[in-house]
Amino acid sequence: MEAAVPSGRLEISCGNKIPKSTPCPRPVPGEASGGCSFDGAQITLIPIADAAHLVHGPMACLGNSWESRGSLSSGPELSAYGFTTDLGEQDIIFGGEQKLHESIHYIVSRFAPPAVFVYTTCVTALTGEDIEGVCKAESERLGTPIIPVNSPGFVGSKNLGTRLAGDVLFQHIIGTTEPEQTTSHDVNLIGEYNIAGEMWYIERLMQQTGMSILSRITGDGRFREIGWAHRAKANMVVCSRALLGLAVQMERKYGIPYFEGSFYGAKETSYSLRQMAYLTGDRDVERRVDKLAAREEMRLSLELEPYRKQLKGKRAVLYTGGVKSWSVITALQELGIKVVGVGTNKSTAEDVSRIAARIGDDAEYIPEGGARQILKTVRSRKADMVIAGGRNMYMALKEQIPFVDINQERHKAYAGYDGLLSLAKQLVHTLQHPVWELTAKLAPWEEETEFAD
Amino acid sequence: MSERLNIVDHNQLFRQEKYVRQREGKRAFEAPCSPEEVTSTLEYTKTKEYKDKNFARTAVVVNPAKACQPLGAVMAALGFEKTLPFIHGSQGCTAYFRSHLARHFKEPVPAVSTSMTEDAAVFGGMRNLIDGMENCIALYQPQMIAVCTTCMAEVIGDDLSAFLANARQEGALPEDMPVPFANTPSFSGSHITGYDAMLRSVLETLYNKSGRTPQPGHELKLNVLLGFDGYTGNFAEMRRILGLFGVPYTILGDHSSNFDSGATGEYSYYYGGTPLEDVPKAADAAGTLAIQQHSLRKTLGYMKRTWGQQVSSVSTPLGIHATDRLLEEISRLSGREIPEALKQERARILDAMMDSHAYLHGKRVAMAGDPDMLIGLIGFCLELGMEPVHIVCSNGDRKFEKEAELLLKSSPYGAEATVHCGQDLWHMRSLLFEDPVDLAIGSSHLKFAAKEAKIPLLRVGFPIFDRHHMHRYPIIGYQGALNLLTQFVNTVLDVMEEQAPDHSFDLVR
Repeated sequence: MEAAVPSGRLEISCGNKIPKSTPCPRPVPGEASGGCSFDGAQITLIPIADAAHLVHGPMACLGNSWESRGSLSSGPELSAYGFTTDLGEQDIIFGGEQKLHESIHYIVSRFAPPAVFVYTTCVTALTGEDIEGVCKAESERLGTPIIPVNSPGFVGSKNLGTRLAGDVLFQHIIGTTEPEQTTSHDVNLIGEYNIAGEMWYIERLMQQTGMSILSRITGDGRFREIGWAHRAKANMVVCSRALLGLAVQMERKYGIPYFEGSFYGAKETSYSLRQMAYLTGDRDVERRVDKLAAREEMRLSLELEPYRKQLKGKRAVLYTGGVKSWSVITALQELGIKVVGVGTNKSTAEDVSRIAARIGDDAEYIPEGGARQILKTVRSRKADMVIAGGRNMYMALKEQIPFVDINQERHKAYAGYDGLLSLAKQLVHTLQHPVWELTAKLAPWEEETEFAD
Repeated sequence: MSERLNIVDHNQLFRQEKYVRQREGKRAFEAPCSPEEVTSTLEYTKTKEYKDKNFARTAVVVNPAKACQPLGAVMAALGFEKTLPFIHGSQGCTAYFRSHLARHFKEPVPAVSTSMTEDAAVFGGMRNLIDGMENCIALYQPQMIAVCTTCMAEVIGDDLSAFLANARQEGALPEDMPVPFANTPSFSGSHITGYDAMLRSVLETLYNKSGRTPQPGHELKLNVLLGFDGYTGNFAEMRRILGLFGVPYTILGDHSSNFDSGATGEYSYYYGGTPLEDVPKAADAAGTLAIQQHSLRKTLGYMKRTWGQQVSSVSTPLGIHATDRLLEEISRLSGREIPEALKQERARILDAMMDSHAYLHGKRVAMAGDPDMLIGLIGFCLELGMEPVHIVCSNGDRKFEKEAELLLKSSPYGAEATVHCGQDLWHMRSLLFEDPVDLAIGSSHLKFAAKEAKIPLLRVGFPIFDRHHMHRYPIIGYQGALNLLTQFVNTVLDVMEEQAPDHSFDLVR
């Protein structure tokens, strides 16, 4: 069953080839490293709020991570529950498939979810559990989709896990349901995880121009809703290159054009809305987007004025995962901040070229080395602050460097026009906290010693 | 800038009318059943019938309350000077441990991984381990590397001791670099077992390397072990108590400075910890005092067996009785009198308990946590006249269960209690509804069940992600009893005030 898409639409899409991206750099043994594929798959799928997510493995794969992500749901909260088969030594030796059968059965009978995602872990991949088989058998027996997610931690990076999760969505879910109604302005957001409610800001903007989100993939997503994603008129890949493959596959199979965009920064936001409108092919919507963008950018530039004054010329080191590095750069530049160092450890070659297009050779590229390398860059480039994720927060604070959290655990939304305003406010407040004055000054007795010298 | 931070975040945004409407609209897609059905099902999950079904569950864990072995091993490794935790396995686990500890202590956590991938799964992780050794020594200049494994390395059966020998042969690992290692798969034990395994390995490795023979009692000092302890304040309190006694001591595995360092303007990977050369000398000590038992079984066994140490271990000394015992043990092992200052302190804490007793007396509590912590908490609650009702210990075994039950039997306030080993926080939720209590005590993970049951959570234990600086205050000793008492009674008073009608909103409580 092919979705009806006007012919000719494809020429205006970003492209219909699987991106030839060089894979993310392989992790180096003996370094402090980032997450794994299992983590990446979970980050992508857990925002599907009404589904149950069952981790097939020892307890800690889940125990170390449940309830610690910032994706928000506006309704169901089943995905916040931590389900695991909790394999022990006996299960490693004799197999844990029976336990998996029972666990799925228990979850379906007690929680009645629209679907259960079953995650492979290092252990169950190595012991060779037939997870696909169990899921298939239980799907048939229970009449509930039980979906295997084959993304054990050792296959690679977090980004790879995200990509594998995208394959799962494409193979098992998209195209399985039909929407009750569609409009000519339906867009899917792919790779927008609704951290701190960011998707709601975007949704509000889209609604103002007459566009709507058909499927949220996956921030604040619902299982059935993702099933009808193939009826959208366009796909936007939001800041997650790892899910580009999903957009390409959807284009090939369903003829849905896609583009890559971001909502960090006013320019990027306007660009993304315009591109979205263009792909839906409605001149009225495009005009409304133009009006909205002009109005919002004007409003924003007035409201940002006092903050821009404070931030102008400030220097920042940005150390964040994957694509956020380039999209956040634009936002910071709009605020007058100079990015003097940027982490590229999780970025693809395409990401790096985008970073280069934005900051050129002016900044230090930090491909690896973790904390020490970031701090070295801060010192050598005389940066005023570090913008990174939680794992690097405390080392920055040890060095008394102002820090802004940009990653998935944060509690502030930075997307869209209002998001840029909150980012500006957050940056100003971070930089102006009186504690930096305290740390910059010597203790009184130290000053006295200096006089004595 | 004096303007107040006034950003409409999702919390306020969501209360706006259009969002309320939108949410209603979305319901059509997400819940095919009616609001009445949702309510009645929710109510059903609070019944005894549901509880029985929940407790009959054998195959799945819902909302776990324990972490895994290598997490504990990382904590043990960070108890020693210039020691780099090195985790052999796939890389994501390491990120978890670093985040987990960082979120609790609000501190940076150094730890590296061998980053094994699919090819390592097929051919073994030796190359990763050897390259990893070389890299981490170059990058982080450790004095000791403490290696533990993840599930992956354990399932494929990597032989750490052979790999390390090869690493030395290849010159990737200097001959004199001590490398203790522990096998710590997540599919057995929990973070406390991993802590124990690594601590034991560190002691054994450093001791064997010194080539000494033990001379127990040769030195008049004590070895002190705090175990898997999420409170840096406990280390300071222990030092203060021993200082008042005037007893020389060595803390074996002191991670407090690595998890509570100052912001001096210069970040370091290593902030302190037990000096490596102190470990072999510890074999000559007069005795060993441990304030955890379940998380130190292997270590204490090793010290007894190989060092011939006189070992005394108590569970986390929370409250009066447990602290009395602690002081008696210090006195016995060191041959010194209990100092006057501590006796006065005891009287002061008793005074504080009497001041507050009316508010805590008869309060029914549910608690979840690690075995040693729970024994301490049960004891303290009984002293306060609080009634422990539900005790959930995911990583407790038969031995813990017996100990807990014995302790509960010692007081009429423990008469109603039931101990649930190996159960999770979804079991706890059923318990909270089927047999309601006034307060919950446990880690941050318990907040969801507590909120649903509409009772306050007293955050004690590990991990505490959602409150700041609690770990900086000791909970052991008389001073710790005062800290806990303050937290307990003021939470009860907060709730009272919140619920107080106008005519009873009193100034003095």
